[in-house]
Amino acid sequence: MLTSQKHVFWQALIVTVLLFGAGIFMGIILENWRVNRVDYLYRQSEILLLDLRAHGEIAGSTYIDCETSIAQNLVFADRVFSEAETLAKYEGAERLSGELELEHKKYDVLRALLWSRSIELRKKCKADFHNVVYIYDYDEPTLEIVAKQGVFSRILSELKEKRGGDIVLIPMAGDNNLSSVSLMMELYNVSEEELPVILIDEGVKITELQSSEEIEEFL
Amino acid sequence: MRLLPYVYLAYMFLSLYFLMMFLMIYLRNMKKMFSYPETKKKYSVSFLVPAWNEQDTIENSIKDIENIDYEINEIIVINDKSSDKTPEILKRLAKNYPNLRIINNEKNLGKAESLNRGLKFAKSELIAVVDADSYPVADSIKKMVGFFDDEKVGVVTCPVLVRNRDKFIGKLQAIEYQIISFSRKLLDYVDAIYVTPGPLALYRKRALEDVGGFDKRNMTEDIEVTWNLAHNRWRRRMCLSTGVFSTAPEKFRGWFRQRIRWNIGGLQCIYKYRKSLFKEGIFGWFIIPLFILSTFLGLVGLAIFSYLLTRRTISNFLYTKYSIVANTSLIVLEDFYITPSILNYFGVILFIFGLILTLIMLSILKEKVFVRENLLNIPFFMLIYLSFYPIIMLISIGDMIVGKRTWR
Repeated sequence: MLTSQKHVFWQALIVTVLLFGAGIFMGIILENWRVNRVDYLYRQSEILLLDLRAHGEIAGSTYIDCETSIAQNLVFADRVFSEAETLAKYEGAERLSGELELEHKKYDVLRALLWSRSIELRKKCKADFHNVVYIYDYDEPTLEIVAKQGVFSRILSELKEKRGGDIVLIPMAGDNNLSSVSLMMELYNVSEEELPVILIDEGVKITELQSSEEIEEFL
Repeated sequence: MRLLPYVYLAYMFLSLYFLMMFLMIYLRNMKKMFSYPETKKKYSVSFLVPAWNEQDTIENSIKDIENIDYEINEIIVINDKSSDKTPEILKRLAKNYPNLRIINNEKNLGKAESLNRGLKFAKSELIAVVDADSYPVADSIKKMVGFFDDEKVGVVTCPVLVRNRDKFIGKLQAIEYQIISFSRKLLDYVDAIYVTPGPLALYRKRALEDVGGFDKRNMTEDIEVTWNLAHNRWRRRMCLSTGVFSTAPEKFRGWFRQRIRWNIGGLQCIYKYRKSLFKEGIFGWFIIPLFILSTFLGLVGLAIFSYLLTRRTISNFLYTKYSIVANTSLIVLEDFYITPSILNYFGVILFIFGLILTLIMLSILKEKVFVRENLLNIPFFMLIYLSFYPIIMLISIGDMIVGKRTWR
C-alpha cells in the first residue's frame, strides 16, 4: 500500500507544472493585454502627432494658424502626459515579459518630437505657454534618485494641476539610448549624470529639489 | 532587480507542489484517514516517562497513563535529578500503583540518556514514551498497537493536542499542532514521517535497540530517533484516531526557546545524516531534502524580506525628507491605487488555496478530536505566526554556530 502511493510525488509534479504553466500563460496574457492597451493608446497619439505635422505642412511654412496649433499642441501634450501615467502604472506591475520597456522608448521618441514641436511653436508664434521638460533616470536609478524623482513628479503634477493650459509638461527618460532624446539633451546642455533635471523653457535648469511655488517663479 | 520575480515564482511553484501533493494524498485516502488496524495479538507495553522538575504535571500524567484501557506491563519514570517535589510525588504514587517503577538518576543526564536508562530496564515488546507533561487519551495504545502487526513498523505516533488553550498563543499552537498531525498522517501514506513527537510515541523495543536508542547529543531526541529508524529502514506510522494532550508553552519566550531547540535538533539531524542524502529511498530522497529545502527557503525568504524592508525603509525616509524639503504632500490618493501584477494574483490564489486546505484539515479534525477553533485565528496563524519560522531558523543557526546547545 505504501510503495504504490509514492507515485504521488511525480504525479503532483505534473499537476503542479500544468497548473503553474496555466498561471504563467494567464500572466503573459494579462501583461500582453496591458502592452496592447498601451500600444493602442500610443498609436492614437502617434496619429495625432502625424496629423498635427501634416496640418502644418499642408498649411505651408509661411502661414501658421498659431491659435489652433497651440491649442492642438496642448491637447496632445496633456494626452501624452496622462498616457505616461498609465504606462508607469503598468510598468510597475510588469513581471514577465518586459515589453513595456519598448513601449516606453516609443513614447520617449514621441515626447522628443512633442518637445521639438513645442519649441518651434514658441518661437514662431511667440506663444505664452511654457515648456516644462522633466528628464529622469530610467535605467536602474539608485534609491536616492528614485525618491528624488518621486518628489519631482509630485511637484510637477501639482504645478500642472495649478497652471493647466499654461504649461506643456513633458516627462521623458533621459537614459534610454535614443538618439533624438540625446540630441535634445545635448542641445540644451543636459547630461545623463545630472538626472533628474527639470528644464523650463529650454533656459532654466533645475537639478535640486524646490517647492512648486519656487519652480512657478521661473515661469 | 529583475531576478526577484523569478525567485518569487520559484517559491510559488514549490508551495503549489506541496499543496498539490498533500491534496492528492488526501483525496486518495480520505475515507481511511482515521482507520487503524485491529489486532488479535496481545502486545506487552512498558511506558517510559522521563521527568525533570515536573511537580505540576507528573501526577496527572501518571494517572492518565494508568487509566489507559490497555494492559500496561509497567510504567518506568526516570527521575532526572529533579530538584522540586517530583521525587516525593513519585514515591507517593508508587504506593498506589504497583506497576510504577522509579529510576533515580544520580546526576542530571538529560532526556535522551534518561530514556536509554529506562529502556535497559523495560521488559516489554513495545515501549511507549510519554513526556511528563503529557496526557495520553485512554484509547491511545489500543488503537496504536495494531500497526505493529507489520513487522517492519518501528514506531507509531498520534496527534498531539494542546491542553492549555486559554491564551492566544495556546490557540495558535493548537491550530499548528492539528495541521502538523494531519499532514503527518498524509506523509504516513508515502512512508515519509520524519518525527514521532515526545508527548506519545509507541516504539518496538527491538527497533530502538537496533538503532542504538536515543542520541544524547541531539537536542531533539524524538526527531533524531525517527530519522535513525528511517535510516535503518524501520517504518513510522501515524494513528490519527486517537491523541495525547500536551502542555504547550504559554509565553512567547518559552515558545521561542522551544522552537529554537526544535530547529537546532533538525539541523543536527541534517548534519548527522548528510551522507544519506539522495540515497536510502524516501529518507534520502524526500525527508532530508525537505528539511534542507525548508531551511534554505526560509533563510533566503528572510534575506529577501530583510532586503526589501530595508530598501523600503530607506526609500520612505528619503522620500519623506525630500518631500519636506520641497514642501509637497507626502501621500496623495493615487498612492493607494495599486495595479496588481501577476505575482500578486498568484500570491492571493496560493494563500486562498492554503487557507482552504487548512480549513479542510481543521474541520475534519474538529469532528474527530472535538477541538474547536476561532476562524479568525487561522489567517493570523498563516500570516503572522508562520512568519516567525525563518527568524527562529536564523537564530537557531547562529546558536548552533556559537555552540549554544543546552535546552534547559
